[in-house]
Amino acid sequence: MQLVIGNKNYSSWSMRPWVLMREAGLAFEEVQLKFGADAKPRGIERYPVAGKVPVLIIDGEPVWDTLAICETLAERFPEKHLWPADARARQVARSVCAEMHSGFQALRSGMPMNIRSRHPGKGLNADSRRDIDRVVALWSSCRERFGKAGPLLFGGFSIADAYYAPVVTRFQTYAVELPRAAQVYCDAVLGLGGVRAWMDDARRETEFVQDDEPYASGHR
Amino acid sequence: MLLVIGNKNYSSWSLRPWLAMKVLGIPFDEKRIHLYGPGSKEQILRYSPAGHVPILHDGETVVWDSLAILEYLAERRPQLWPSDPAQRAKARAVSAEMHSGFAALREHMSMNTRKRYPGKGRTSEVLANIARIDAIWAEAQGPFLFGPFTAADAMYAPVVLRFRTYEVAVRKQSYMDAMLALPAMREWIEAAEREPESIPSLDLYG
Repeated sequence: MQLVIGNKNYSSWSMRPWVLMREAGLAFEEVQLKFGADAKPRGIERYPVAGKVPVLIIDGEPVWDTLAICETLAERFPEKHLWPADARARQVARSVCAEMHSGFQALRSGMPMNIRSRHPGKGLNADSRRDIDRVVALWSSCRERFGKAGPLLFGGFSIADAYYAPVVTRFQTYAVELPRAAQVYCDAVLGLGGVRAWMDDARRETEFVQDDEPYASGHR
Repeated sequence: MLLVIGNKNYSSWSLRPWLAMKVLGIPFDEKRIHLYGPGSKEQILRYSPAGHVPILHDGETVVWDSLAILEYLAERRPQLWPSDPAQRAKARAVSAEMHSGFAALREHMSMNTRKRYPGKGRTSEVLANIARIDAIWAEAQGPFLFGPFTAADAMYAPVVLRFRTYEVAVRKQSYMDAMLALPAMREWIEAAEREPESIPSLDLYG
């Protein structure tokens, strides 16, 4: 398998399947396409699908879009239990991932992922506050209902944690104050080997992508 | 099962699981909530903490978000995705792409089943979205995207209604025709046309 990704500092969509595969111990070759000045991944035309990262090449066929990649991996590697095994937990896990996949626009645009930077307090407004409150409520509900067996949303690691990992890094970048239980969850995610490896790589990247840097001084 | 949906004229997310359940012949009760009305937010929150339609209640199980509902249904009715693994992966990819993308199309050509807005909303970003959808549909195996009706068709059903409203021409007109000929699509359209409520902020072009 090959996973085509963008910049590790900025590409939250790329981070999700990468962390998922690392945490699940699925072997893959990483192909990194850095974003150009137009914020498009350079060389993406070699993968003629949606024109975006991430793309997973599996059995020679491209699968694009994060959620489709995660579902496909869950189906091909059932022994890895990428979704929770319990049927009710699984449906909630799917719902919270789908909610992340299509929602939280204010959080995404006001607080873009930027792992190596610190912009405390930036991007906080009524809309992003509402998104943050919803994320915190959703984490708390998953933890209380399904998380007894471990520190993550559904106890052990699942696609849902990979899905919210970029949000955890945003909360760190923008120093969002969180209730204690949410902070404990964030710390558990930040301690995952796959998350740490991704973030270490991100901190070493030097490319500056203007579109993802609304708060960098001297650039806007 | 209970499916909680919004206005049939406007709620594109609601159409997706509704259509899939109708086409698969899954019996369900429907609860329609007039969106953006007084108390509608509170009404939705009674069914799901996420505060958005559609929501599926199946006994004790609550599933929200259209794509999660479709995956839930597919666990019970596997024919909702193509049976070939590579085709299934591709169907999931175009569905997920619809689910998270096409923001310009959604904003400037919002679903409005009963209206006709020929030529409206065509910004350059919208035209790029249309070109991408046209390319996906051009590969339709017929009559639907992957042969028989799948979740991918459910995901693109609101786009079919948008292209009807905004009179967007596509290469594969036979795909639009097949979708519009589905009895369930006709039932949805007729119900949308009969809905008494209107939402002025969503009647973008009069």
